[in-house]
Amino acid sequence: MSGAARSLPVVHSAPVDHAAAAAAFNANEARVDWHDAALWFVREKRDRAVEEVPEWELLRELASNIKEHTLSRLDEYLVAFESAATANGAIVHWARDAEEHNRIVHDILVSRKVRHLVKSKSMLTEECGLNAYLEERGVDVVDTDLGERIVQLRREHPSHIVMPAIHLTKEEIGETFAEHLGTPAGLSDPTELTAAARVHLREKFLAAHAALTGVNFALADTGGIIVCTNEGNADLGMALAPIHIASMGIEKVIPGANELAVFLRMLARSATGQRLTVYTSHVHRPREGQELHIVIVDNGRSEQLGRKDFWRSLKCIRCAACINSCPVYRRSGGYSYGATVSGPIGSVLTPGIDLHKYAALPFASTLCGSCTAVCPVKIDLDAQLYRWRQIVVDAGLVSVTKQLVARAGGRVLASRRLVAVGSMLFRSMLRAFPARLLRRLAGAWGRDRELPVPPRESFSAWYRRERGDGHDVA
Amino acid sequence: MTSRELMLAAIRAARPAPVERPDVRAAVAGLPLQADAVRSFIEAAEAAAARVLEGRRAELATMIATAYPAMGRQVSAMPALDAGAMAELPHSFADTEVFVCEAVLGVTENGAVWLPLSRLRHRSALFLAANVIVVLDRARIVGNLHDAYAAIDVAADGFGVFVSGPSKTADIEQALVIGAHGAKSLTILLLEE
Amino acid sequence: MTVALFAPCYVDQLYPQVAIAALRVLERLGVKVDVPSGAPCCGQPPSNAGFERLGEPALHAFVKTFAKYERTIVLSGSCALHVRTHAPQLGVAGAHVAARTVEFCSFLHDAIGIERVASLGATCSRRVAVHIGCHGLRGLGLASPSELQVGRFDKVRALLGTVRGLTFANLARPDECCGFGGSFAVVEPAVSAKMGRDRLRDYDGGNADMVVSTDVSCLMHLEGLARRDGVALPMMHVAEVLAMSAR
Repeated sequence: MSGAARSLPVVHSAPVDHAAAAAAFNANEARVDWHDAALWFVREKRDRAVEEVPEWELLRELASNIKEHTLSRLDEYLVAFESAATANGAIVHWARDAEEHNRIVHDILVSRKVRHLVKSKSMLTEECGLNAYLEERGVDVVDTDLGERIVQLRREHPSHIVMPAIHLTKEEIGETFAEHLGTPAGLSDPTELTAAARVHLREKFLAAHAALTGVNFALADTGGIIVCTNEGNADLGMALAPIHIASMGIEKVIPGANELAVFLRMLARSATGQRLTVYTSHVHRPREGQELHIVIVDNGRSEQLGRKDFWRSLKCIRCAACINSCPVYRRSGGYSYGATVSGPIGSVLTPGIDLHKYAALPFASTLCGSCTAVCPVKIDLDAQLYRWRQIVVDAGLVSVTKQLVARAGGRVLASRRLVAVGSMLFRSMLRAFPARLLRRLAGAWGRDRELPVPPRESFSAWYRRERGDGHDVA
Repeated sequence: MTSRELMLAAIRAARPAPVERPDVRAAVAGLPLQADAVRSFIEAAEAAAARVLEGRRAELATMIATAYPAMGRQVSAMPALDAGAMAELPHSFADTEVFVCEAVLGVTENGAVWLPLSRLRHRSALFLAANVIVVLDRARIVGNLHDAYAAIDVAADGFGVFVSGPSKTADIEQALVIGAHGAKSLTILLLEE
Repeated sequence: MTVALFAPCYVDQLYPQVAIAALRVLERLGVKVDVPSGAPCCGQPPSNAGFERLGEPALHAFVKTFAKYERTIVLSGSCALHVRTHAPQLGVAGAHVAARTVEFCSFLHDAIGIERVASLGATCSRRVAVHIGCHGLRGLGLASPSELQVGRFDKVRALLGTVRGLTFANLARPDECCGFGGSFAVVEPAVSAKMGRDRLRDYDGGNADMVVSTDVSCLMHLEGLARRDGVALPMMHVAEVLAMSAR
């Protein structure tokens, strides 16, 4: 595994301290309960939707195999996609990293004198920091997904890849709308707030010079892109504006429509518990009088593809089922991960991008396996989290406390005699640790819990006494 | 080397050992389907907040009038009901109260209907209209999405969309709100010939 | 069949009554059980904390100690899963032991059978909240996890169903993680404690008057939280419950 660590980029950004952010989040228990309940509700909706599909596990296996096959021939499928899309009249661009993506998008806008851009949800463009890049250069960018518009107005980032404003109460959203949309102070009814947003954003759609969308799936055989929304915002953008730019990660390509059916049957059910999103748009050609640009982006994905233990994370279809199911995410919130994509999938993608910054994320987990069980494309998330932990430790990025714990523990736990040795008072492997460390560990344990009451004798001592031990260790 | 060449080279070098392409059609052949496809379609469409009205094609005009008695601007993509010129700018449909079109097929498992561009004539009308009416022949309902894709040519018209229900959002405290940026209502007129 | 029993390090040191109960249950079921010394730990704690290499000596010792047995029964889902997953990486001997390592409940359910377990005549008049440790649940298939679309089954409930007088508490979230997670408990204490307290609140909501688990590590964490909050809720391993009978 050290080979993988050596190939990782050395980027010294401040490390994300998930535990500290999570502790701060937990200071308001009522808020944590509310956040946890909101996300668990989505997980329950997912369960109900999945129960309707008796062949669900077969679909998961199929979806996983389709993705693994496609990734194993990714270059061929991307070339096929480009060829078909170009024949359809789309202009295809290739961007190696975020900077190049942003530059390509900006160049298109500048050359067409675009000052007003509407955007629908694209985690890729969040990852690339596109909004800030464009705004610095004088482009007015309006996020049109309701949740994204809310966080944009608040100058915040989305806290969840599917439900960007899940961390906000309706009162907080009402305040934001009162400030920016002129809605009455104190208005917090979701229906009325949504109606206000509809009016506000309708103007933006009609006035937009260009629309930028993400891509849920790209069909290699016919060169089409698939965009799924419930709100219709992506469609309003792309049906009206004279320029449509679609940004896609390299991993979004799939062979064709037969495969698409499998993913579409699983995406909405996994994400929100719906059987299908309201709109599933298949764009092959630009609308009449429109230019269609497709930007294919790498930004670290080909590097992840080359990691034998982690390439399967690229199967991800961004449904967020793992995020909703994660008991740690629900009780720590998206911001505690310090990344666009958070939760379990974020924790196996981000260390590959910046190990130093995201070293803590693979440890923000009990390895309960719920994420792996809920993933529609069978990404082995818990196994990848485990493997990232080994890499983080090998890279020396784990706190001194943990190193001491493990080093002493490892030596102690291999020898029965060392374990048995110790005072009568506190029978535990922790006896071998320095007292100051023990206090710190006991402190971390003892902050919320009573320590176990040590028994009179261990089981092995009992067994030796009661039954005799014919297999004494030398 | 161009970015394209560099990216493709990086992918080629990185990609894992070949994984066989699964035969999707074989894998999904013979999946259990709903016993009453039409009934199940209606239930699924209603679950997505669509309204479903049944009738005969001969009564279509009456059904539309009944569905939206007090309507403002009506636009239809259906030749039989052409109520206004369709060769207009995409933006000009912004004040459309009701948009009428006919779907190619419906899908039982999710209550969705397939609308290729040839059935819409303009993309924007479908999304700008406050209310949408979709006409569907009840004999053109298929079981699941596998069946649907086997029956359509996804690339044919350059644009096509599966629509299930009116636009909606739950972005504010998970409260479901019908009517986000697209249609505030969707009515399916399920016809027998 | 030669059978050995492995008590995880913390069971051996802190909860010997669990191992004693397990031994007694197995023997009353007619299983002759060895308890070899030489392997105090399977190596899971340092491994899951990212120190796989430091856990290897313990895993080697485990493989060496249990090599000769046709079955090694492990009193923990987490430990059994760790051995089954990682011992094969140590070579042929490791693979051999891994394939023969089974968690206690699955041994009783699969190898002994519910009818013979019922013949123990265990009695326990409690409304029980069942907590199957996540590794045993999703890793070893002790029950059908709520995420999967598979036929519903639950080996642990089947075993506890043989206990006279025992009823089951209805839980809102039957298989949510308790929050122990090994080093997680001390590295992310806020979330760990919150997860455990939420389990306790669920048990309370289901009017449970006892918690029974496949993993004592989970119970150590839950009991620590409960006692700190002044809640007296007895917690036992499945083996202890099966050992409770009018003799």
